[in-house]
Amino acid sequence: MQINQRFGLTMIIATLLVMVATVYILFDYQRGNREDLARAQGLDLARLLSGMSWNELVPQADKKGLLAVLKQGQSNPDFAYGAVVDIDGRVATEVTRSGVIVPAGDIVNEPTSWLGQRVLPANDAEARVEFIETHAPVFNEGVHKGFIRLGYLRPGLSLSYSEMPFLATVMLPIFLLVPFFYFMLRREIKPLKDISQRFEELAEQGGLEQIAMPPSEVLNDFMEQVSGYIDATQTRLEVLNQEHEDLTMSSKLLTYKSNRVDAILQNFPDAILVIDEAGEVSYTNAKTERLLGVEANAMLGRKIREWCDNPEIIPLLTFGDAKANLQANQDTVQIKLDDGSEKSLQFSVYPLFTPNNESKILGRLVVIRDVSESHLLRQRQAEFISHISHELKTPLNVLSMYSESLLTEGTDNEAYRIEAVNVIHDEVERLSTLINNLLAINQYELGGVVAQRKHVRMHEFLEDAFTNISKGKAECCEFELDIPREMSMVYIDKDLFRIAVNNLLTNAVKYSQPGGKISMSASETEDSIEIVVSDEGYGIAESDQKQIFNKFFRSTDDNIRQQTGHGLGLSLARQIVQMHHGDLTCSSELGKGSRFVIRLEKVSTQIMDAMAS
Amino acid sequence: MSKILIADDEPHVLRVLKLSLEKEGYTVETCSNGKEALARLEQAHPDILITDIQMPVMTGEELCKHIAQHMPKRSFMIFVLTSRTEIEHREWSRNIGNLQFLEKPVSIRNLVEKIDNYFASAPDSRRVS
Repeated sequence: MQINQRFGLTMIIATLLVMVATVYILFDYQRGNREDLARAQGLDLARLLSGMSWNELVPQADKKGLLAVLKQGQSNPDFAYGAVVDIDGRVATEVTRSGVIVPAGDIVNEPTSWLGQRVLPANDAEARVEFIETHAPVFNEGVHKGFIRLGYLRPGLSLSYSEMPFLATVMLPIFLLVPFFYFMLRREIKPLKDISQRFEELAEQGGLEQIAMPPSEVLNDFMEQVSGYIDATQTRLEVLNQEHEDLTMSSKLLTYKSNRVDAILQNFPDAILVIDEAGEVSYTNAKTERLLGVEANAMLGRKIREWCDNPEIIPLLTFGDAKANLQANQDTVQIKLDDGSEKSLQFSVYPLFTPNNESKILGRLVVIRDVSESHLLRQRQAEFISHISHELKTPLNVLSMYSESLLTEGTDNEAYRIEAVNVIHDEVERLSTLINNLLAINQYELGGVVAQRKHVRMHEFLEDAFTNISKGKAECCEFELDIPREMSMVYIDKDLFRIAVNNLLTNAVKYSQPGGKISMSASETEDSIEIVVSDEGYGIAESDQKQIFNKFFRSTDDNIRQQTGHGLGLSLARQIVQMHHGDLTCSSELGKGSRFVIRLEKVSTQIMDAMAS
Repeated sequence: MSKILIADDEPHVLRVLKLSLEKEGYTVETCSNGKEALARLEQAHPDILITDIQMPVMTGEELCKHIAQHMPKRSFMIFVLTSRTEIEHREWSRNIGNLQFLEKPVSIRNLVEKIDNYFASAPDSRRVS
């Protein structure tokens, strides 16, 4: 709006300036014309009068001079005066327009200067008027008598009233046209102003829509263009909006997918390391931190040597020339942890190829698996098989030899025959126990053992088991049994429980030093029964105590290694006791002996009683 | 008299072998582990050593390796009684000469035959028939 107002004002001022300039040029042109006219007329007239004699020009007595006629006949409004002067400059006769005095002015009396034109100021200084005077010589009968002087007012810029109507006529239409044009323009500009206002509003709202077209023919084309442009912009905007929505959606989807993949990788049971071509770690998961004992931040973006000091691991994670080895490979290393324990880690390295170029390698994927358990298990199984085959074949060997010797010996040597039969009987018994143990543990692990519970007298059961083990071994150990006669009946699988108790007693004998005491006692409280087997043997190292109940575990202690064993007895014993809802614990001191305690809850046996009845 | 030293932790095996081999005319000494056998080797100078593998204190494998290392010029034959048939369990003996495996259960007749054959082929047989 302000712009429009300023525009109008500027237009008016400009128009006025143009008017003033036009008027000035007109006046100047007119003035020039009049001056030229005054000069030309003056010269013509002066020449004409110069041809007349002094006497004709200067009125004689009672006669009117020619000059008077001249004044009357003069059509030029600028005519100021006419005078005839003698050679000395004295006025002989004169005619003037009213209010004008002939100015003084000597004429040089040289023939070359007789005819001429000059500008003379008026005598009256206030009038600020100049005259254009033409002078010519006057003769009388061939004698130079004087001069004729004809003066015209020199036209100035001052307005005269006579010119006012002309000026008014010129200026009025111009003056009238200015507001007319201004209002016309305003009328034409108005729709634009409205559109501008609408644009302003839309810009404030931030919208984009079609603007109603004002009824203006002049603007039709323009508005059509604008309209077309807005349509195109709107279409483009919609496309962009759609694209933006699609992008937002796919970005969300990508984030979701990436998060999901990351969650999967983070929770992967194996450690994952991604090592880029530069040999720096670009991804690790939580398991890696736990397995290698290094924080993710310490690994990411760093080379292996910067965070790993294990000389066995470094070569597994350093690849040198990327092209050299593109095969997946696998290696297992033993690493020692800070707490002194050992771990078996299996490193599987897979090359990561670029998706569309199988010869270009991006880095390596390393999967690290803790195979300590399976490694130990395999080791123990191998040892177990070794022991078992020895344990099985040793009695078999004895059986074979004795039976063969019986065949060749015949029956002549009665003493030898009895000895051989006894040995064969014992060895068969030994084999049978071993096979029973093996079958029991196997069945238990397959879930096939169902305890066949019966009410058993504790005193008799334990005494029988103890005697069976201690008989014939009096020379190597001292045996002590302390079982109260009045103990309650227990509800157990006699055969299974016999294996457990047997295994504890056999161990006590096996790992006792000569002359050591082996004792078994039992006690009963209101809610439980405790059976204790103790010895004064080699004892069990503290580090081994946690593992003795693990299947296939064999101590590395020399004293223990001297004895044959297959790492099954205690494992089986504990499983059997647990099957009876009891607990088997061990306390031991190296060099002083061990104490194994079976604790059976009486409540559970009572419930069993109730269930059975 | 040809001397045989037997090392086994199983007393019944020692007894039967001793009886059977003595009946064949050999002088037999027995011990119950590798360490004892090593001590006896110094004094008894046997012609044949029969040893079990799994024994307490010193195993048969350790005994044989020790012999191979410390008695490079030994003249006696070694028979090793083993429960395992797989070759990888005999790998350790690859560089030990004059050594033969006998699988359990061992046939006494078979063993006697092998011992007889050994002495028959040995040039300085000291067997007294």
